[in-house]
Amino acid sequence: MEEKLTLAIESSCDETSAAVLRGGRTVLSNIIATQIPVHQKFGGVVPEIASRKHIVNIMPVIDEAISKAGVELKDIDQVAVTYGPGLAGALLVGVSAAKSLAFSLDVPLIGVNHLEGHIFANFISHPDLKPPFVSLVVSGGHTSLVHVKGYNSFSLMGQTRDDAAGEAFDKVARVMGLPYPGGPQIDRLAKEGNPEAIDFPKALQNKGNYEFSFSGLKSAVLNYLNSMKLKGIEVNKADVAASFQNTVIEVLIGKALQAIKETGCNTLVLAGGVAANSSLEARLRAAAERNNIRFCYPDKILCTDNAAMIGCRGYYQAEAGSFSNLYLNAVPGLALQDV
Amino acid sequence: MPILAIDTSTMVSSVAVGDKKKLAAELTVQTRLTHSETLMPHIQQVMEMAGIRREELDAVAVNIGPGSFTGLRIGLGAAKAMAYALDIPLIGVPAMVVLAWQTQAPGIRLVPLIDAQKGNVYTASYIWEPAAENGQTALKLTCQEAINVKALQEVLDQLAADGGLAMVSGDMAAKKAAMLAEQGRLPENIILAEAQAMMPRAACVAIAAAHRLEAGDYEMSAVMDMEPIYIRRSEAEELWEKRQAKLAAEAGEQAEL
Repeated sequence: MEEKLTLAIESSCDETSAAVLRGGRTVLSNIIATQIPVHQKFGGVVPEIASRKHIVNIMPVIDEAISKAGVELKDIDQVAVTYGPGLAGALLVGVSAAKSLAFSLDVPLIGVNHLEGHIFANFISHPDLKPPFVSLVVSGGHTSLVHVKGYNSFSLMGQTRDDAAGEAFDKVARVMGLPYPGGPQIDRLAKEGNPEAIDFPKALQNKGNYEFSFSGLKSAVLNYLNSMKLKGIEVNKADVAASFQNTVIEVLIGKALQAIKETGCNTLVLAGGVAANSSLEARLRAAAERNNIRFCYPDKILCTDNAAMIGCRGYYQAEAGSFSNLYLNAVPGLALQDV
Repeated sequence: MPILAIDTSTMVSSVAVGDKKKLAAELTVQTRLTHSETLMPHIQQVMEMAGIRREELDAVAVNIGPGSFTGLRIGLGAAKAMAYALDIPLIGVPAMVVLAWQTQAPGIRLVPLIDAQKGNVYTASYIWEPAAENGQTALKLTCQEAINVKALQEVLDQLAADGGLAMVSGDMAAKKAAMLAEQGRLPENIILAEAQAMMPRAACVAIAAAHRLEAGDYEMSAVMDMEPIYIRRSEAEELWEKRQAKLAAEAGEQAEL
């Protein structure tokens, strides 16, 4: 039997994306219209502007995804769409378009959790990857450890209590006068600095605790910068970036390795926008090698917000018969949950 | 030539299907439920009630504002995707025109008052004028004043000064003008629309679009690039420009010194 064609749509933040997948893992097209330059002058994503861009970009992006995939719209078997978490107004553009497409084409609709999508990006980059494994999800708004027991069975081991890792990166970058988005800037600057130069605090270090907290670390960096300024001492920004990033990475690695031990999994899977951070990826890889476990992370393009990962997640939901109806709404605060 | 029409520009959710000769079905709900949940189920219900299949539709029409930014995008997102999937024209009807179609009678100024936040309204002025058409008399909609943003009181003062009968409708008329009327403070030449003509209804979107469809007054490219009529920019852009102007002024002063 011919494998199913899934059209997927993603508009949760500042990227409008559409993709076509054959089966769960073959990406025929993955079109991403980014708005980063539009939001740069505001120092962050402006929700209303993001929504306005999405409604302009949505149809050209879908149309390009269909034509690049070399398929016809009438051949689409199902429509998958991100319904949360994300910006309400931004999500609603994708959800409205997806519901209407599913209705008009008379095919099933699948609402997808964006964070689950990030984990599933790994199935596209690694065709042989199969559950069970532990996934470390690190993105702009989320930091969590998930025990992925099966394609449709997850257990949330812990998540951030306050600021996500990505948020801390952006805020620290902003205070240091680095342009938005701050994560890649810190990563670049950290390469020139000494990661041991400044001793920043690590939170929630007790064993078996899989929760994260980065707001204390963020404050410590801000306090350090302020006190140096008051003393009239010029800071070495590269050292600050390297030490800050090092602290975040040590926390993430420590908890991820503990989770691996506790679950007895032998695969660690990195997911989310911050997976594109080169030091995090390199250090996790080294730690995994030392501990004799497999380490996976998605191709760079699949680390950013993209519809291909939503299509992959949607495909496996559909395989389990889990569809949405036309009442599907955007859920901005949607969390990773035990399934 | 059935048209599916959508109006989610205000708190009212309205869906209709019909053509110039017959309005087959309409569902208009004013219950404060979220458009994003109910719009597609309503579309499905209206099409089923009318006994019209998707592939029989000749066009999709939508109220493109001004109005609630999010509401407009929910309606337009659904309308675009449907027009694209069914490969039929997408026709956007401005909110002011939709409201004017609610009261199709000659000789009275029709003045929509749509909430633009902070005591302001999106407004315009339309009038139906008799015109000869194929040996009959038809009504033609003429725009007397294009869409603009004003303080509500300014619009009411202007209408009072201009004289002549004017009928106000729209969500701000429903809220504020109704309150003024109760207090006896509405100028006497201003008439409040009754409840059924006060809100935008998809039936009027459909009929306005049917005329445009017949006249060939639409662009096939609209499916790809249509945007809502926002009038106002986002608050972030307004603040940013104010700050830039201030910085430029300060830089100017510095240069003079």
